[in-house]
Amino acid sequence: MNNTVLELENISYKYKNDLILNKINLKINSGEKIALLGKSGSGKTTLISVLNGTIKPTQGEVKLFNKSFEELDRKQKSKITTIWQDLRLIEDLSAEQNVNCGLLAENNFYFAFKNLLNISSFKKAHKYMKLCRLHNSIYDKKIRKLSGGQKQRVAIARSLIQESNILLADEPFNNLDPKLITTIKNLLLENVDKNNTKKSPKTALVALHRLDLLNDFDKVIGIRDGKIFFNIKRNNLKKIHLEKIY
Amino acid sequence: MVCIPLGYQLINNIHFGGFKLFQEFLISAFNPKIDNEIIITVIKRLNETILIGFFSWLVSIIFGAIFGIISSNIFYKIFNIPNFFYRIIRFFLTIIRSIHEVVWGIILMQIYGINFSIGIIAICIPYIAVNSKVFAEQLETIDYKSFESINQINAPKFSSLLTLIWNPIINTFKNFGLYRLECSIRSTVILGLFGIGGIGTSIFLSFQTLNFRELWTYLWSLAILIILSGLIFKKIKFNTTNKILSIFFIAVFFITILFSFSYFLYFIFNNNFENFNSVSSLFKSSSDLGLFDFLKLILETIILSLLSTGIAISLPPLVIGIFNNNTSKIFIKIFAFLLRLIPTPVILLTLLTFNNPSLSLAALTLGLHNAGITSKLLFTNLDSQDKRNYIAMKSLGISKKTSWLLGLFSQQAKSYLAYCAYRSDIIIRETAIVGVIGSVGLGWQLQESLSSFAWQEVTIVLIAYSSIAIVGELINGKIKNSLT
Repeated sequence: MNNTVLELENISYKYKNDLILNKINLKINSGEKIALLGKSGSGKTTLISVLNGTIKPTQGEVKLFNKSFEELDRKQKSKITTIWQDLRLIEDLSAEQNVNCGLLAENNFYFAFKNLLNISSFKKAHKYMKLCRLHNSIYDKKIRKLSGGQKQRVAIARSLIQESNILLADEPFNNLDPKLITTIKNLLLENVDKNNTKKSPKTALVALHRLDLLNDFDKVIGIRDGKIFFNIKRNNLKKIHLEKIY
Repeated sequence: MVCIPLGYQLINNIHFGGFKLFQEFLISAFNPKIDNEIIITVIKRLNETILIGFFSWLVSIIFGAIFGIISSNIFYKIFNIPNFFYRIIRFFLTIIRSIHEVVWGIILMQIYGINFSIGIIAICIPYIAVNSKVFAEQLETIDYKSFESINQINAPKFSSLLTLIWNPIINTFKNFGLYRLECSIRSTVILGLFGIGGIGTSIFLSFQTLNFRELWTYLWSLAILIILSGLIFKKIKFNTTNKILSIFFIAVFFITILFSFSYFLYFIFNNNFENFNSVSSLFKSSSDLGLFDFLKLILETIILSLLSTGIAISLPPLVIGIFNNNTSKIFIKIFAFLLRLIPTPVILLTLLTFNNPSLSLAALTLGLHNAGITSKLLFTNLDSQDKRNYIAMKSLGISKKTSWLLGLFSQQAKSYLAYCAYRSDIIIRETAIVGVIGSVGLGWQLQESLSSFAWQEVTIVLIAYSSIAIVGELINGKIKNSLT
């Protein structure tokens, strides 16, 4: 049985005269945890943007559950959640309002309205914020008043609250101290925690810089100048692979 | 530069017969009429002014926000609508904006007759377009990445739109909304001078009967209203986290929309277009207006705009720079307040007591009134500026005037000129007001054509007005961009 959830077929992306992604072929199977390695500017963020449908490739096709992106409805597309490198939170909204934005896809317009008026329920948002070790004193604080680490965890909570099957994350451990990194890594990559209080995405592709965090991943993809240099099991990763991309 | 042609024409046109009247006008400022009868009239007239001003503000700010949303690029990105529609709506709003509320008022009065609601509609039409521009500009500042992030969550389109625009809309309302209420009240006063009602009508009637003491009672009461409203506006803080208050604002929002629509329908179906023979007459090509005369009027309007803008830009820094001491500053501030307070038609009529109607006189009037506004901005900016450079220059032995110019004004010059570029857009539109009274430019022709129900001429004049304003706005936009 084919269990491919995301597939890139001969993807290229050109911005002005620069070829950012160059003929990329990639299959991501259900349940896989993949680490994406590469230098800054190697095309990791663009690859994630193509995978979640934010940018359309110049050439090639992106398939989610064996269907082209154009054929999918809103509910199907919402099975992907993204943690952006630059977080992309709404600065003028509070932390809990931002986390609740993750629920917009499964709710109607009235929910969005209530969220902005602060009269919606924040129960679920608070649950995920707590899991991300965010103190309740910052729940109603505007994003612009938070520290870098707090913002990072709000963005992670917003992503987790979507309870999506597929996680795409672009350097999600930035701004976090070592203790928090372990907590957040478990949150993002473990399917169900001991108390069954949260549902993590089954499949994950995470762009990373830190090699010491690779232990929890099944596969490692190396990207350089918009090309995939290797796509191997983590256990097979050698120094020579890393030398190719760094 | 402006002073040379202006001074020459003004001196040539001076007549001494009206100096006594002018003197009487000035003295009456310190001796306004105060009795029971006039106090009752003032309260009644101010009440009318506040009502017209408030309702036109409420409708124009709400519809301005709605049009601002549908003329901003974020709306088209979210709904994947081609940019073509966005350009059409913006162009349409630019044309509406280019015609001053007084012109709308005069046209509507000719069609429907004098009516309380005409004032509200006349103010609302250009104000909705002006407000929509401000709202749209604020919505353009939304970070594109926030849009991508919300879009990626795959929320329903309207939920995404609301989440993204909520804060820019609320912030624009907080920063700009109350200022527009003051503008709305001022416009109501000016429309009153043309017979719409409110304190403006009383001011005009007092002037016509040369009852200057009564005139000043109305002007001072208007001053009190503006000062008081300014003080109240400063105290008002919109707390959008207060649930009850938020629900109240939303209720007002929807009630206003419903009421405006139902009133609009009522207005359309319950009015006789007595003076308006047929819509097709608007587009007839025949007109008694000769091409040469028409071009002359256009040229006059352009010169009037340039001269007035010149005065409005240069007078405040010149006067503040020359009379740079604390006592002079107080007098300049009072004088500037009076220039802002007294509606342009009243300034013009006062100057007409000792000067013949001319382009220079109209330019001086418009320039002085706007100098009152630009000087307020300049004073506010200069007062809040760090004065260390100025003090350092003076300590080096540089003269006070040069120190002011280089140490204080030079740091404000760019932002001041950028605001003046925006102000000159307004001046172009305001040429209609002084034109009607001062026998100058297209404003005068518009009044003449409307009085004789020559609708084809009205159409031509409006197209010309609109074109001048749009070209002016484009040029000023370029200037503003180069300065900021």
